[in-house]
Amino acid sequence: MFAVLIDQFWSLTIAGVALGFIYVLISLGYTMVYGVLRMINFANSEIFMWGTFGTIITNRDIFHYTQISEPATGLKLGIVLISSLLMSMFVAGLTAVLVEFVAYRRLRAKGTNRLATLISAIGVSICLQEIMRLLTDSRPVGSPRVLEKIILTEVWGANIRLDTVITIIAAAIIYFLLERFIKLSRMGKAIRAVSQNEDAAKLMGVNLNRVITTTFLVGGLATGAASFFYVTVFEYSKYNIGFTMGMAAFTAAVLGGIGNIRGAFFGGLTLGLLEVYASAVLGTQWKAVTVFIVLVLVLLFKPNGLFGEAVQQTRA
Amino acid sequence: MNKNFQRSLAVISAVALAFGAVSASSAQAAVKTYSIAYQGPLSGGEASTGIDEINAVKYAVKLFNAANKGFNIKVVAVDDQGDPAVASVVAPGTGANKKIIGLVGPAYSGATIASLPYYKAGGLPLISPSATRVSLTKSDSPDFGYPVFHRVVATDDKQGPALAKYATKGVSAAKVFVFDDQSAYAVPLRGYVEAAMPKVSGASLVGGGDSVPNTTTDFSPTIAKIKTSGANVVIYTGYYSQAAIFVKQLRDSGSTAVFAGGDGVFNQQFAVLAGAAAEGSRLTGVAGLADVGAKEEAAFKKSMGISSGVYAVESFNAANIFLSGIKAGKTTRAAMLKWVTNYKGVGLGGAVLSFLPNGDIATGGFSGFTITNGLLKNTGPVK
Amino acid sequence: MKIRNYWNLRDLGASVWEKANRPKRVVIATSSIFLVGLLPFAGASFLATPIAAYDAVLVYPVGVFILMALGLNIVVGKSGMLDLGYVAFFAIGAYTMALMGTHTGLNTWEIMPFGIGFAMLAGVLLGLPTLRLRGDYLAIVTLGFGEIVRLVVLNSTWSKGPNGIANIPMPPDIGPFKFKLEDQKVFFWVVVIMILLVIWMIRRLSIRRPGRAWEAIRQDEDAAELMGVATLKYKIWSFTLGAAVGGAAGVLYASKNLFIAPEMFTLNVSILILSCVVFGGIGNIWGVVVGATILGYLPDRIRFISDARLLVFGAVLVVVMNFRPDGLLPRKKREKAIVKSEVNA
Repeated sequence: MFAVLIDQFWSLTIAGVALGFIYVLISLGYTMVYGVLRMINFANSEIFMWGTFGTIITNRDIFHYTQISEPATGLKLGIVLISSLLMSMFVAGLTAVLVEFVAYRRLRAKGTNRLATLISAIGVSICLQEIMRLLTDSRPVGSPRVLEKIILTEVWGANIRLDTVITIIAAAIIYFLLERFIKLSRMGKAIRAVSQNEDAAKLMGVNLNRVITTTFLVGGLATGAASFFYVTVFEYSKYNIGFTMGMAAFTAAVLGGIGNIRGAFFGGLTLGLLEVYASAVLGTQWKAVTVFIVLVLVLLFKPNGLFGEAVQQTRA
Repeated sequence: MNKNFQRSLAVISAVALAFGAVSASSAQAAVKTYSIAYQGPLSGGEASTGIDEINAVKYAVKLFNAANKGFNIKVVAVDDQGDPAVASVVAPGTGANKKIIGLVGPAYSGATIASLPYYKAGGLPLISPSATRVSLTKSDSPDFGYPVFHRVVATDDKQGPALAKYATKGVSAAKVFVFDDQSAYAVPLRGYVEAAMPKVSGASLVGGGDSVPNTTTDFSPTIAKIKTSGANVVIYTGYYSQAAIFVKQLRDSGSTAVFAGGDGVFNQQFAVLAGAAAEGSRLTGVAGLADVGAKEEAAFKKSMGISSGVYAVESFNAANIFLSGIKAGKTTRAAMLKWVTNYKGVGLGGAVLSFLPNGDIATGGFSGFTITNGLLKNTGPVK
Repeated sequence: MKIRNYWNLRDLGASVWEKANRPKRVVIATSSIFLVGLLPFAGASFLATPIAAYDAVLVYPVGVFILMALGLNIVVGKSGMLDLGYVAFFAIGAYTMALMGTHTGLNTWEIMPFGIGFAMLAGVLLGLPTLRLRGDYLAIVTLGFGEIVRLVVLNSTWSKGPNGIANIPMPPDIGPFKFKLEDQKVFFWVVVIMILLVIWMIRRLSIRRPGRAWEAIRQDEDAAELMGVATLKYKIWSFTLGAAVGGAAGVLYASKNLFIAPEMFTLNVSILILSCVVFGGIGNIWGVVVGATILGYLPDRIRFISDARLLVFGAVLVVVMNFRPDGLLPRKKREKAIVKSEVNA
């Protein structure tokens, strides 16, 4: 039962960390919005899905890579990767702002119940998913290989691959930059102020609408970065990938303590590792069950998540 | 302004949708009009399969209508989304619509099982081009589709051994790792592959296999299992899109094990999605229209505007069995059912079409395909 | 204000009901039930659904959705707990029917108590540890529970895994009323009776102690606890009653469908039922009924736009929520008025 885990521990760990970093970035999308609005941004999974097409379009239609073309090298590689990263972030950021505008703004202005907002967000995510399904004919879309997956070195029997290394390092940098932004910038402070006390923040002259739009934008950008890594690693997207990834990332956010940026970091990594280890030990069919059972246990004994500060009492 | 626009758009669409006319059937004079139906996924996630199949059915009908001036055959599209829950909503209506005298489909086995009670009650003859589940034609199974159910595709218990043989062909001391995607198609097929493996000389199952939900994109745990088990043949019984992601990751991990898959992977899109990683993959499936002949494929494309897809030959043949019945004057369900049961003919691609008493096709088997230069290359029937 | 009232069907209905005396009420109630009972005969009118059989659509999705939405409304609407795993109870009911129906000689009505019982048991087992959680945390735990149930069924052999269970027996005939596959009127009448029973149960409970406790919990749980309401107990009650209705719906669904498979019990069902509740008017029985009717019926009615119908469905959700955030038929801000008049009546 544990043979696989022992034999392949380090390759599993590396894979889990890389996957974990993708979760970290998506769960930032959930956690930022939650921090400010105290609401689950149900459409974040579709924002992620739309983001993946940003990278695919850049690779395929702007730089004209095909399934059979040679991977890029040198400077060109850098340019292509950075432009697809920016494109994914742009698409996802734009979608996120759109989601806020369509699903949240009007309801928030009315100050109505949270469930209506939730259903409105569900409606928007159905629309986003369906539009993409119609655009892609329900078929999976492959992304051409831009980054060659060279095995750099072998450590403790595990292959260290270029794409894994890039994912881990770049995702960590993006996470770090976002955290700095929230901590230090004026806008970031405003976001935190609104998250702590909306009314007080308003009194202090914070433009609430702008803060909320920015929060969605920043969450969307983080999610978009995740989309880029996802496509670079898996070279694939489909209209329905959002649900699984979004579900996992949302679980990660709750695991870490939703509304808490650092919680998203630890939650994402924990979930990535947990999924990989559980699949190796119990079989992949029990992965989701394990994740949910761990989540329930964590919530029972530490109701604000593993790393959450016990500040929020969720508003009913 | 935007909101007003939204509001008026919503109102207009809601009104249009709620009260819009559904269908207007006009009376046909002198021309004999009959309907056959196609049931399969025409919307939702599985839509591509259904659209490929219904195109072949429409093509057959188009040819028939053009060749027989006295007839006007219509194709009723029954969309079950490949989902048994939806099938049980659409099947009662189709079963009760006596204008429909034959149905090509249902495309998926789960949807077939959910629909069968209604079609048995209505006596509607079925010929499925792609429902491969064994239990549908097994007399001691609760899913037994007798007398209405027929299929022009070979079953999973024939495919399992074929896949086991083809995957391990030429591999000495084959150590085989088999995994599925948890779907109702893949899990039984994996069972038949595993059951057939001991009969293949020199081959053994290793690693205990795996079952990977079909929404997974990260296959690293499965690959870790494959590496630990030391397998040199990997068989996936799921569908092509996951197979493409998997085989890429398998190759990127440095593994050179043979990759093989069943007719769920058998799709040109697999090679397109997986690119170079798909090279040399071994798939079992049934020959498509392009394998029948380039001329036939060109004629199809000219007529329908798009290339033929999966199960095009089967759907075409199934439709033709009904059409020939209509031409022979079998215009009630009961007469048609008798016609289908006793049918003997040669279909497109030279396949002999006739049915066993349980509804299975009497002949037919699976061919082996190897991906060579990004294309599915037919290596002949697996024996 | 007057124009608004004209559109306010809820108040219109309430005022008609309140002004009526007892015999009048009996007439109103029986005649509306009679009219509803006639619905399956309206298949040839503009109500007809393309492709799908109209009477089948009335049973599932419409009837079963109403039943489930009413059950979920006890949890979400009455006591304010967000449950995203409601499909689990539906699945438990359906699998109880499927397994017992194919393995024992019992008929649907004899299995019904078992289905309800198992669902309630699951409700208590889930509720005891998790109902301490609130809001979104509760939502994700229930969501996880729903997925766990589906995955366990999918990965187990006793449930025949992904193949599902076929040949589930139909309900036995009730006197002259025969259950038939081609003609599902009797199924519809059974669903209507079950819906009426559930409505009756909710209305009885609403004006009694549990109803008041739920209302208090929904408005402010801490205050309710402080005032001596045994919040956990009533939350579990609410959860379990909701589960019971879900289980009953599951038993009926399995017996009507004759075949069930794990893919019928995905998270989408939970979300759809929740949408029915919120769309129609959370907390208001009639709102929930209207919401479930529309959301169950609409996708089949607009089948002719085939591939875009889910898109329209999503758009309808967004538009209605934006313009009527409390649903089509919202509950009153305070339910006190209704409660009082009913007690007096």
